[in-house]
Amino acid sequence: MGYYDIDDILADSVEIPCKFQHDIPGLGYLENNPGKPVKKNAKLELPLWLARILAIIDGDTNEGELNQDEESVPFVELLTPDMFSPKVINAIKADPTSLDLHAINSYFYALALKWISLFSDREFADIVTTLLLERSQAINNHASSVSVEFKSSLDSVRGTQVTAGASNAAASMFLLTLDEFEKKVYKKSHESYKETKKWMFEK
Amino acid sequence: MYGDLANKLILEAKRTQQLNHNSNQLPMYHEDLVRKVLREVTQLKNTTDFLKEQQQLPSDSAIQNDKVLKCQYFVTLLCMERNKRCLLAYQKLRSDVLKSLAWGSNDGPLMSATVDTNGLSHMEQEYLKEYSGLITELKGGEWTDIDLSGSLTPPSDVFIDVRVLKDAGEIQTEYGVFNLIKDSQFFVRQSDVERLIQQGYLQKI
Repeated sequence: MGYYDIDDILADSVEIPCKFQHDIPGLGYLENNPGKPVKKNAKLELPLWLARILAIIDGDTNEGELNQDEESVPFVELLTPDMFSPKVINAIKADPTSLDLHAINSYFYALALKWISLFSDREFADIVTTLLLERSQAINNHASSVSVEFKSSLDSVRGTQVTAGASNAAASMFLLTLDEFEKKVYKKSHESYKETKKWMFEK
Repeated sequence: MYGDLANKLILEAKRTQQLNHNSNQLPMYHEDLVRKVLREVTQLKNTTDFLKEQQQLPSDSAIQNDKVLKCQYFVTLLCMERNKRCLLAYQKLRSDVLKSLAWGSNDGPLMSATVDTNGLSHMEQEYLKEYSGLITELKGGEWTDIDLSGSLTPPSDVFIDVRVLKDAGEIQTEYGVFNLIKDSQFFVRQSDVERLIQQGYLQKI
């Protein structure tokens, strides 16, 4: 989640549907027609890095005494994006491991984290935690099945290759459904399983 | 929209990152894209200047105006912020790769500059040179008896068999002279040839 984190930056560029709560002239370029004002209640998709801040700061300045009656309304209201819709949440509850997270959004976890911290959504946090736990068991299964192929590169034991595990079809199907964060986890753990095996069986 | 160009840069950075998992190589510096992003930042800067002037103008609906200006100001500022973050992240990633190159292969007792510097920008070439200088300085300081840029895999054998991969003629190292003829083999002390293995002349058996 660092400032220089490439994945975090990419996650921040995902577009979120927003509703404007004020008339703002001069911001038409957000709607792809510059020169026109953005109307109140206009719905448009804004990248998270912009929407996040605009949803926090409000249109009223410090001279709040003048308009006490009018509650301070932020510039935009964040609408629930497709990836956190009830449909997806139900799918998560039903079967986490068969869910294609990559198709929903390739930065699902990073975005869920940001979303939860924005809205302090305890319920959704529980769901995502379970999702991660369930899927990480599957990830561990796939990561630990190391094929013995690496021996061929060292041309020591030819002929005894067993092609198994990671290269079979069922595994690769699952690996295509991982989101970016899970991919990183998978790569790391697979690598460490592989290295350990290599060390155990070759001197 | 603003920030789209910077996004392209970040996607490029992501690709570099994945490339680097396998091999330490650096693709061309995207000078063109960087310049475009910088031009966008200049444009945004002009917008803020314009907005600032607008603020000074007397206006009848002061509060309304204030709100609008605030929003416009914020959006422009955020766009600049975003561009800055993307540029910095791209550059940081590249400089990380450069650093590992400098530690990994750039110098040794033989000081062979094997890093290809074609894809780098002028600033990066300068940076690489100065960073290598810093490493040399560090190694020449207090810890001269440890080769800080040496191999990080723990030594397991005192003597090893090596095979020569590249013809290099007679090479003088600190511990003696080797005649590196292709496909010949040596049985030598590991610490003597570590450097030559790193540079790719020898292959450990």
